[in-house]
Amino acid sequence: MVKKRSDVYSVEIYGTKDLHKTEIEDEEEKHKDQKGNKKKKKAEDLKKELDLDDHRLSTSELEMKYGTSIDKGLSSARAAEILARDGPNALTPPKATPEIVKFLKQMIGGFSILLWIGAGFSWISFGIQLAQGVDSAFDNLYLGVVLALVVILTGIFAYYQEAKSTNIMASFSKMIPQQALVLRDAEKKELPADQLVVGDIVEIKGGDRIPADIRLIFTQGCKVDNSSLTGESEPQSRSCDFSHENPLETRNIAFYSTTCVEGTATGIVINTGDRTIIGRIASLASGVGNEKTPIAIEIEHFVYLVAGVAISIGVLFFIISVSMRYKILDSIIFLIGIIVANVPEGLLATVTVSLSLTAKRMAKKNCLVKNLEAVETLGSTSIICSDKTGTLTQNRMTVAHLWFDNQIYSADTSEDQTTQPFDQSSPSWTALSKIVTLCNRAEFRPGQENLPIMKRVVVGDASETALLKFSEVILGDVMSIRAQNRKVAEIPFNSTNKFQLSIHETDDPHDKRFLLVMKGAPERILERCSTIMINGKEEPLDSEKAEAFQTAYMELGGMGERVLGFCHLYLPEKEFPESFQFDTDSMNFPTSSLCFVGLLSMIDPPRSTVPDAVSKCRSAGIKVIMVTGDHPITAKAIAKSVGIISATSETVEDIAKRLNIPVERVNRREATAAVVNGMELKDMSSEQLDAILREHAEIVFARTSPQQKLIIVEGCQRQGAVVAVTGDGVNDSPALKKADIGIAMGIAGSDAAKNAADMVLLDDNFASIVTGVEEGRLIFDNLKKTIAYTLTKNIAELCPFLIYIIASIPMPIGTITILFIDLGTDIIPSVALAYEKAESDIMNRRPRNKRRDRLVNQQLAVYSYLQIGIMQSVGAFVTYFTVYAEQGFLPSTLLGVRVNWESNAINDFEDSYGQQWTHYQRMYLQWTGYTAFFVSITIQQVADLIIRKTRRNSIFRQGLFRNKVIWVGIFSQIGIALILTYGLGHVTALNFTPLRFQYWFVAVPFAILIWVYDEIRKLLIRRHPGSWWDKNMYY
Amino acid sequence: MQVITAFHGLILLFYLVFYGFLAALFTFTMWVMLQTLSSDIPKYRDRISSPGLMISPKPDTALEFYFNRSDSQSYSEYVTTLQNFLESYNDSKQSQNIDCTRGKIFDQSDAAVKKACRFNLSDLGQCSGKEDANFGYSKGTPCVLVKMNRIIGLKPEGEPHIQCTPKEEGMVNINYFPPNGAMDLMYFPYYGKSLHAHYLQPLVAVQLAITPNGTKEEIAIECKILGSPNLKNQDDRDKFLGRIAFKVQMSE
Repeated sequence: MVKKRSDVYSVEIYGTKDLHKTEIEDEEEKHKDQKGNKKKKKAEDLKKELDLDDHRLSTSELEMKYGTSIDKGLSSARAAEILARDGPNALTPPKATPEIVKFLKQMIGGFSILLWIGAGFSWISFGIQLAQGVDSAFDNLYLGVVLALVVILTGIFAYYQEAKSTNIMASFSKMIPQQALVLRDAEKKELPADQLVVGDIVEIKGGDRIPADIRLIFTQGCKVDNSSLTGESEPQSRSCDFSHENPLETRNIAFYSTTCVEGTATGIVINTGDRTIIGRIASLASGVGNEKTPIAIEIEHFVYLVAGVAISIGVLFFIISVSMRYKILDSIIFLIGIIVANVPEGLLATVTVSLSLTAKRMAKKNCLVKNLEAVETLGSTSIICSDKTGTLTQNRMTVAHLWFDNQIYSADTSEDQTTQPFDQSSPSWTALSKIVTLCNRAEFRPGQENLPIMKRVVVGDASETALLKFSEVILGDVMSIRAQNRKVAEIPFNSTNKFQLSIHETDDPHDKRFLLVMKGAPERILERCSTIMINGKEEPLDSEKAEAFQTAYMELGGMGERVLGFCHLYLPEKEFPESFQFDTDSMNFPTSSLCFVGLLSMIDPPRSTVPDAVSKCRSAGIKVIMVTGDHPITAKAIAKSVGIISATSETVEDIAKRLNIPVERVNRREATAAVVNGMELKDMSSEQLDAILREHAEIVFARTSPQQKLIIVEGCQRQGAVVAVTGDGVNDSPALKKADIGIAMGIAGSDAAKNAADMVLLDDNFASIVTGVEEGRLIFDNLKKTIAYTLTKNIAELCPFLIYIIASIPMPIGTITILFIDLGTDIIPSVALAYEKAESDIMNRRPRNKRRDRLVNQQLAVYSYLQIGIMQSVGAFVTYFTVYAEQGFLPSTLLGVRVNWESNAINDFEDSYGQQWTHYQRMYLQWTGYTAFFVSITIQQVADLIIRKTRRNSIFRQGLFRNKVIWVGIFSQIGIALILTYGLGHVTALNFTPLRFQYWFVAVPFAILIWVYDEIRKLLIRRHPGSWWDKNMYY
Repeated sequence: MQVITAFHGLILLFYLVFYGFLAALFTFTMWVMLQTLSSDIPKYRDRISSPGLMISPKPDTALEFYFNRSDSQSYSEYVTTLQNFLESYNDSKQSQNIDCTRGKIFDQSDAAVKKACRFNLSDLGQCSGKEDANFGYSKGTPCVLVKMNRIIGLKPEGEPHIQCTPKEEGMVNINYFPPNGAMDLMYFPYYGKSLHAHYLQPLVAVQLAITPNGTKEEIAIECKILGSPNLKNQDDRDKFLGRIAFKVQMSE
């Protein structure tokens, strides 16, 4: 685990202190782990390269270092040399497994190897029989071909499914800019970006993608969008100044794959290709192993189980048949039959189809699943590490509170607000609303009059947008109000003033005074005020009122909200006549002794669906952890408002404050909640992190860098949790990969994040994850049902072989017939079970325990194999014996006849009535027997399908007709059986014969018995929970 | 430990009861099914609408006769088989059988007791074993008996007779007993093992007089039932339906 952490630190650059620390750690690690491995080496390499000091160097030092000239650039020859040394400026794709290897893997994975063995044996016996001149030799050839076809087709299907999940590197390579403007041989040239080398002088302009990591040497109004790298959504300005020790923070470096939003810049290429920051993250993301999904583990477990049963029964009966003096060749043919009967050929494909059906259903609910198996992983999720911005919140600033007339008012922050309910009768509000409306540069894009206000696109920054929408909701057409109050002068917001000011004519034609309105940081605004408006009247701002302001300011700030102060002044008409020329540079107007009107506070409010979703998670036993880059206070406020921190729980700090004792003295166990700062997290050992994750039920990680997510994810995984992680930035991709299920944001997410993720959330909404969880849990339950359904008939297919070997009766069912059940009649019904509704509220139980709650457990196997399967066999054998008896072979005459029955040379085989049969006539009767056996299994599988609809509840409670697809399944099953029997009954190779209609009903009583028995089983389970019966019979 | 054994004991008991019940159920349904069957004739005979042909003696090796006419050991098995086979056709065994009207279907559907028609061994002439205990094997004229499979209720139409043709001319001369290889209609129909206990199916003896040319050669012979429209002798899949092919190779 320590090793993994060093991986992270090597990318996460917080200046030299960290690097030093990692070095020490790695040093320690070397002592611990003498062997070392590739991964660690890679991590060390990364770390070394991060000793980037180019941002500290002066231009001439850079020229020296890279042997280049700012005026002339590199010479073409020198560039070619470096290119030869460093390779092209492109990310090396990871060593992809060749497609053919992937394909072959599918061909031998799962049950395939068993079926290949079966096919191999078939061909061997074909060869032997052909040499012996046996007529029926070709049957074995066909069987081998069919088995091979089954493997190849299911293999192609699986390969196709795998190929659909895209490779993470694909998007990294897509990010490479096509062309770059380079200075070489003192000439500006357009070059393909992959030809860039270290030392090249490149020019970039607004809209370009940065072609490599570049140290800027000349800039003009340059801003870059680093969101794909750091997750910061605001464009960052870039200059030539060395502004920070940390290369990631300093302004004079622009990173590969980020975008230049505006301005122009010139710079020296300092890193290319895989040595760029993004290249390192890419290699880290691909270095993070893809863990096996829980469902993959379950299916593997199931395959081992079934294969184990198949092989042991096969070998056992091979030995039995050899010792019963069967010929070796015959014994081998028996072995093939046993394998084919035991292997549910269609099941893996069915599982894939079921998963993709669920994936489709989830896509409709805005969860786009890229990796099919992730569908179920989501269902077994026990911890969700969620982003805040955009996932839990609406990702837009909204006015949440107002303070005027010494009172705090709450505003509606829901997504679709149309009115504001707070008391708007006070004249102070009228004044405040005027300031809010006028002192605002944001504007709606034209042509959106028909859209709801909250959905309209606004030109302006986040706060101004919030204020514009707020006033539009309350006052109506803001633009016309602004037009009526013509703006005569304006000072936009800047970071030194920390206020924004504008001067307007008033809309009152009798009032010729100008109105000065101002907004800004509350304390700055208050400084400039001498009076304060209370109920529309200006009152002097005494210390008592200032105190009230402070209290309100602290309270709003304490809620994690961004607070703005508003003030105004009507300029005296005499000093500022209508013709007065306002000069904003010389400020020929008063900016102090203003009248303070009120405060507005804004927050990115939680999505309205989120609190409900969080409480659903809680009842579903899923821990929701917030991981955000935001300030701890804001993070905590949002966590509280959505219920991640519940109303009653306290953090250590809260307890300390309540009891008025130092934080150190608080009993940590009393605190159910914790807010962990990224800075604290950095200094924590993994044991400390584990302790926090273990001891606190409600955790918020604030001020975390996206890379720290990986540490948090690993911490959660150490607790044995199945972790879902949301993310959007490029540097979230290692965490997304590491997580059991990575969830990328569809709207805000970068391509790399989407590629690293297993799932994309189309609406960026946390609530969608919860619906996904629900679907995931449902599919796990339904796959259980599918598998139970499929496994049952394997016994009914296997018993005939065993009895055939032991009692030497004519073969009851053919190998090809078995394949028609497994891959024909049973496919649609087993998929139909995926549509089954949940039996009870699946969101009220704890997440599945990976180790205990297996997909296929002993109870399921035993109940399917030894109970329902045996009942099916009995029913099918009754049909078989009936067919033979009614044709003249009473059951007693069938015992021990195998050798003569199958002999080609005996063509006067006598039945119970003295009639004589040729070999072909007997074979034809045998095929009729196959068909009868097949039909009986099909009929009983209908009952099996119905009973599998539920595992605990009565079928009648679940509703026999609620899942219509089940009926499609039943009709398809019977339809396919009818077609095979009557439609293809004359194709000899398929071994089906038209069957008398009454034989379809012989097994019906047994089908009913299966249903009744299962209802009794379920009744006893419900009546006696925890009893012996419950423990053994509930799967 | 005790808990575990009690637990396992319960499982054992459960399966004992469960399988006991299933076994009883199986037995019961089989019994019910068997009650619906007649002991005289099977419910359906559609799977054997037309009879197959078979020969006696039947060599183990896929209907191929290999023998040396001067070595009695080489054909003794065939001779014994024939003798045993014809045992039931001995007059002593046929005392209860009646002489029926030749050339006519012997319909006894109304009769409670079904009589069997007498088949005189003498009809097989030189192949009856009476004149030549070695059935011609020592003389180079081996006999093969052709019989038609018994099928309950089968009433051949026309004048069914067996005709055998060698694949190549000049190696063998074929004689039939009874003459023309005729199968008399009076032996039909058959009423089943329980009603028609003494029934003897008609036989046609084929005497293969192997010419010097044919000696030491492998002679392929195919016999078919002809002369009856409802007895099929040509089916692509069933090589024994109304026909039979065998090989004979005689050395000296």
